[in-house]
Amino acid sequence: MRQGRQLDEIRINKELLNGALETPAWWKWAVLILFTIVISGFVVFGIQTNKGLGVTGLSRPVFWGAYITTFVFWVGISHAGIMISAILRLTQAEWRRPVTRAAELLTVFSLLTALSFPVIHAGRPWRIIYWIFPYDFARGLWPNVRSPLVWDPAAIGTYLTGSTLFLYVALLPDLGVLRDRTTGWKHAMYGALSLGWRGNPRQWRLQTVAGVLLSALMLPIFVSVHSIVSWDFAVTPGVEGWNSTIFAPYFVIGAVHSGVSAVVTMMALMRWLWKWDNFIRPEHFDALARLLIVVAVAWFGFTIVEILFSLYTLEGPELAFRDMQIFQWPWAGLFVVFLLTGFFIPVTMWLFKGVRNSIALMFWTSILVNIGMWLERFLIVVPALARKQPFVYTWGSYQPSIVEFAMMAWSFAFVSMNMLLFARFFPLIPLFESKEAMIFTTEMKIGRTTIPAVLREQE
Amino acid sequence: MASRITAAAHDDRPTFQEAAVDIVNAPSTALSSTTARWFLILGAMFVLGVVGFVLKIVDAGMDDRASWGYYVAMVSFLLSTAAGAPMLSIAPVLAKANWIRPVMRISQLFSAIGVLTAIMSIPLIFLLPPLVEDEVRRRSIWFGSPAYFPHMWDTIAIFGLVFIGLALLWSSSLPDLAAIRENGGGRRQKWARRLAPGFIGTWGQWKALKMRMGVLSAFYFLFLVFTHVLFASDYIHALVPGYKDAIFPMYHALTSLQAGVASVILATYFFWKYGGFDRYIGINQMWNLAKLQFALSLLWFYFFFSAWIVFWYSRTPQNEKVIELFDHGPYMWAFLGTLFFSFIIPMWTLMWNFIRVSMRGPTILAVVIIFGTLLDRVRLTVGPWSIEDINEKFLTEIPETVWPDLWDIFMFIGMFGGAAFLFLLVTRLVPAVSLWEIQQSRLISKPAMYMRGEVEIVGKPD
Repeated sequence: MRQGRQLDEIRINKELLNGALETPAWWKWAVLILFTIVISGFVVFGIQTNKGLGVTGLSRPVFWGAYITTFVFWVGISHAGIMISAILRLTQAEWRRPVTRAAELLTVFSLLTALSFPVIHAGRPWRIIYWIFPYDFARGLWPNVRSPLVWDPAAIGTYLTGSTLFLYVALLPDLGVLRDRTTGWKHAMYGALSLGWRGNPRQWRLQTVAGVLLSALMLPIFVSVHSIVSWDFAVTPGVEGWNSTIFAPYFVIGAVHSGVSAVVTMMALMRWLWKWDNFIRPEHFDALARLLIVVAVAWFGFTIVEILFSLYTLEGPELAFRDMQIFQWPWAGLFVVFLLTGFFIPVTMWLFKGVRNSIALMFWTSILVNIGMWLERFLIVVPALARKQPFVYTWGSYQPSIVEFAMMAWSFAFVSMNMLLFARFFPLIPLFESKEAMIFTTEMKIGRTTIPAVLREQE
Repeated sequence: MASRITAAAHDDRPTFQEAAVDIVNAPSTALSSTTARWFLILGAMFVLGVVGFVLKIVDAGMDDRASWGYYVAMVSFLLSTAAGAPMLSIAPVLAKANWIRPVMRISQLFSAIGVLTAIMSIPLIFLLPPLVEDEVRRRSIWFGSPAYFPHMWDTIAIFGLVFIGLALLWSSSLPDLAAIRENGGGRRQKWARRLAPGFIGTWGQWKALKMRMGVLSAFYFLFLVFTHVLFASDYIHALVPGYKDAIFPMYHALTSLQAGVASVILATYFFWKYGGFDRYIGINQMWNLAKLQFALSLLWFYFFFSAWIVFWYSRTPQNEKVIELFDHGPYMWAFLGTLFFSFIIPMWTLMWNFIRVSMRGPTILAVVIIFGTLLDRVRLTVGPWSIEDINEKFLTEIPETVWPDLWDIFMFIGMFGGAAFLFLLVTRLVPAVSLWEIQQSRLISKPAMYMRGEVEIVGKPD
């Protein structure tokens, strides 16, 4: 039986624009709290810039810690957008419709956040300009174009540009609707942004083609971004646990796992906060959970292979590193938590239909996944560096400081606040997608059973 | 809004009765003179292969590892094409894809070729060196296990995969065999009585069938990955001293999927053109298969590059030797061939809609990809099998190119002949298009008119 009701266009506009045209009571307080955390983060960043990176826990030999882990984490979350909107659009999955815009938005803001972390991590952020403009022409000191660290900004920047375009193209019809329902400065703003959208057949055709083309073009970028980020680690032969050929697909599949879980979290919050029960339904969570099971199992398989082949050569330093990572405190505790939260608890729960259709349980399991995936990146980055030099006697010396925790909190608040600000001005669920869904989804009776069905154009 | 579906459109799909007659009595199941001729030709090719194998043993013995590299490549090739094909009856079903139904049986039929793979894998037990030689243990995924663990487990994996594949084929054929049992004649009816004695289509039997297929599909997928991990690790990876490539088993599995899809495309074309199934197989199937083929060809490059970049970037002597062995050294001709046939040509052709949406375009590309896979398996196996000292810590000397001799060519011919022979044989009994899938598809989809356009309503049952 198909969930939800058939709604007419007027009802769809009214319900989905309740965030953009009216301000919910809770919105101001939520934004205020998040804004406070964001401002605190900027203050902490200022303190760190003034005092130096010594206020963090970073020290020899662990020079990459929570900042790089969080950078990789947010790049991973950004993979949700393309997974949900592009891949599911190309495969004509009808259930993607309510979540495409929120997923694309999450991509854009998480990429912006991810890009901030190398700047934060630099300590003296003005020196990053030397990466682009070498400061010493006379001595021929150019950026090392062989380094994946130089490829990172190009890849992430391209992905950010493409995702923003993708978001904007999909937003055009709804901007037209908002323009026609507002007055004053808002009317002028939406009018400028809507680029003359009138909704005639030619414009719809162009918008659809642009969406499909962008979906196809973004796919290689989607794969390349996290692969390049993974090569920051994989091409380093001197660090145990990093020099592995499997890192690229391993990171990408992990990114899809954490990104789609983040979309589940977001969908649950959207349904609860804006009361969009007619649009975000248990069937969407069910479909996402099934996708997540496949992705999680593949990710777990890659994890096993990665560990197996790291032990393959039976070299002393590699064995010692894995022994430390898996069996020695505190890494052992984190490793157990990572496995439980990243795979065993959520996937076992998702095997049950009751869990997949329970929005509360899906919300909590998706949060567990992202805790596990943050820990996965932490366990890749930090223990390996802690063991990097064989004569260091300070293994296990790294601990994130209050400054690093504050910046991590800043990143979550920054993304959430921007999502809420966007929701105040633009609909989080695409209006035209919801109206199309009412057309393209139907039911059919086979014998005594009624099953959900979709319309497909005849080929 | 859905009320704008104004009426049912004209439905020119075969009715249940027409489909039953077409599929149960399809020309492809008959033993015509043309078919008999093909059986003779393919049988002769297979016999030639057996002759080549015997003469190879007489000529080279079983101890000269280098001369058996091409044989290992053949087993790897069969594992990659025939074993990968049944995945098409598993993965799209998870996505509730309706277009795959006419092609599902075609992909499952490739399990029959697994019999040849299993038989050909037996000599590998004697060819693969033990893990410990002269008290020196070479690196492998088996660590401190007994010396013959790879031989045992790899054989179990291959035979297990073949067995599960055949079980999946038999399970999915049960309803159709029951139809043949009731409505067929001659030898086919006799065989159908033996293979489907009690299936009468009760609700309980259908439920059990679906459950069995679900379990077998899951096991097939797991065994496929397991087999590729073991085969790639033991028969290739462990023979190259100092080679450490975590993505290699996954690369081997992925290229198996790519070649499997190509094999199914090729077989689909033949059944459409010559098998009498043109009312069931059409442009929709070929188009969707071509999209899959395109994606897998792009993934070929991604997996290859993910390994190559790590080796190239490190600039260590060991990693440079590995790249030389597999890419720009004695098998550069095979590497370039793979690069062109498995990636560049498929990518630059399948990206065009007019090629994807055609019957011949994807078929020609399928042949190209299968050839590319063959070259890939040659480059990956012949080099490692011709390394002199596999128990060194690192690869120091790149072996010279080993070219196939006459017996290898005979065996290649025999492999293709034997595979095609088995495939053709099984289609005499089992219809190449699944009757019950077609009938289910007819139940859950129907043409309709939406405003002035024709659409299809496709049910998505849980």
